[in-house]
Amino acid sequence: MTAAGAYDVVVIGGGVTGAGVARDLSLRGVSVLLLEKGDWGAGTTGSSSWMIHGGPRYLEFDWNTTKLSTQDAGYIVTIARNLVYRVVFLIPVLPHDRNNIERMETAMEVYDRFQPMKHAHPHRRLTAAEALQAEPGLTPDLIGAVTMEEWGVDPHRLVYANVQDAVSHGARALNHARVTELMRDGDKIIGVRYRADGAATEARARVVVNATGPWSPEVGAMAGVDVQLRPAKGIHLIYPHRISNFSISAESIDGRDLLMVAHAGFTLLGTTDDDFYGDLDSVDVQEDEVDYLIQGFERVFPSIRRYRPVRTTTGVRPTLFKWRRYEDELSRRYEILDHSTQGADGFISIAGGKLSMYRLMAEETSDAVCLKLGHEARSTTATTPLPGNESDPVPAAQLAARCGVPALAVVKLQSRHGSNAEKVLDEGGAARILCRCEPVTEAELVYAARHEQVRTLADAFRRVGVAAGPCAGAACIIRSAEVVGRELGWSATQKFDAARDFLRGSWLGRAPVLNHSGWTQEELAQGVMRGLTRN
Amino acid sequence: MARADSLAKLAWAYGIHLARRRIKRPRSQLAELLETYAPDGIRALEPAERERHPRLVTCINCGLCALAAGRMGRTRLPDLAASYMRLYARVSDASSDLAGDVPDLAAATSACPVGLPLEEVAAAVRRMSLG
Repeated sequence: MTAAGAYDVVVIGGGVTGAGVARDLSLRGVSVLLLEKGDWGAGTTGSSSWMIHGGPRYLEFDWNTTKLSTQDAGYIVTIARNLVYRVVFLIPVLPHDRNNIERMETAMEVYDRFQPMKHAHPHRRLTAAEALQAEPGLTPDLIGAVTMEEWGVDPHRLVYANVQDAVSHGARALNHARVTELMRDGDKIIGVRYRADGAATEARARVVVNATGPWSPEVGAMAGVDVQLRPAKGIHLIYPHRISNFSISAESIDGRDLLMVAHAGFTLLGTTDDDFYGDLDSVDVQEDEVDYLIQGFERVFPSIRRYRPVRTTTGVRPTLFKWRRYEDELSRRYEILDHSTQGADGFISIAGGKLSMYRLMAEETSDAVCLKLGHEARSTTATTPLPGNESDPVPAAQLAARCGVPALAVVKLQSRHGSNAEKVLDEGGAARILCRCEPVTEAELVYAARHEQVRTLADAFRRVGVAAGPCAGAACIIRSAEVVGRELGWSATQKFDAARDFLRGSWLGRAPVLNHSGWTQEELAQGVMRGLTRN
Repeated sequence: MARADSLAKLAWAYGIHLARRRIKRPRSQLAELLETYAPDGIRALEPAERERHPRLVTCINCGLCALAAGRMGRTRLPDLAASYMRLYARVSDASSDLAGDVPDLAAATSACPVGLPLEEVAAAVRRMSLG
């Protein structure tokens, strides 16, 4: 056991909420240790729909949730300009849909009242012919369509930007650091024991925050308290290209709303929503879930089966507990639980919620923490820009010409680093393109390995998007292992093992979609990787 | 209570909406829609491109087209299909990458193991890069 550190607060969980809490408290001058058992944003956050949305669905249940969500989305969009982009939905209405075009437009008219809070445009209504002109891939059976604007975001970078800012304001943040035990003194939680780099360590704290999403009941149990959730599994299919101009919503066979989201260079199709009782660390995608999603979209976008999904993602939502309700009707609200009445003073859980409201959740959790600490500073996260947003980036073509990098690579780099892109290219040195599909420069990966806590190739995938394109790493994963290994001092065997571990891990997400025309790519990848995957 | 309140407000909004639809003559909003989002790279593929689109994004980045035909401007051929065609919403910011010589795209197409029509890919990317 190494020597204990002492902090005001230990935050457990490096998803967007935990990272947001660490940032909020650090900006208020509180000393924080943030611990994540895997990598930043590798759990529920990373398997989200990659959207900061206002939640028009909640208009049926609670307008206040829509208002809070939209308002907070507006703050996030302002502080993370480089990470967000407009996602515009075309909502086609078909005969026999649950909502006719007038009801659908009514909902959008109501939603328009909230849209200015997140700097979004009002809806438009299109006739069937106009909708087909805007989106020629839609079924000709449609009656008409309405549009709705939301924001897309890279959740991995959003989490890391929060971590980065917390660290730059004095926090300590460790990924691959698993909490094994909560330390107690009578009725008070006084710290945590955790394992990092193979060593057991203690950290004492006046307050411990449980921000572990669906793992909250597990961490709560370490303190002997009950955190009740109703975890729900959701899957997405990832297509490594845009399929449509606009994002599209559709109705599944059981009447649920499905979304096909056109992100910058890929399409995300989802999601399912099913009660989940299994192992949170091993959530598999089943082929029937894939078919359920494709079937739902085929009705509005008939050519969907002609496209090749490259992988799936899956995650578990930390939905608040409610008996009897159908999964889709469960609230996405959140609760901050102070466990002092359960014999665990100094222990706070944040449960429920969603990505779009992470900042608000973090602010309110930090308020509760500060109340316990007797610390009076107020939150400034709504107005303080995240790293890379302090100034406007230089034009992509200009930076590309100066550094000898393709302009498209600079566009992508700036979408992750904003105005810090120049610094990344300068420090990383090598202007070579490492992952040609995305495209990612070697300099960015070098920078990530040096400064962004990349410890594995899966971490590199999350931090810079390496191997995220159509070849799924066939052309770049060995070179990535070389680059990261060089920076981290890996031996040849370690580099080989890192590449193999990445391929095995990514296989779990690819296997369920291979019968959907994925074998062409897979055979190439298997051929290239024969030495790595055989044994 | 919140649910009942929300549904009542939606019902009221629905009534207002129906009344307004009876009074106001609808007008086309397509041009406004496309104009609003053009700066965000959300632009319609042309019908012919849309029909062929599933074929245009099948690149598996094997690199054989590069051996057959090299580069288009400063851009290697597999990148044109594996990267620029996919990222078409952002490609107008990178038009400088595509300026220059056009390689023998027919040779590249015939080398492609998945039958990607590289002439069509090049034409689509060029069109979209012009904004």
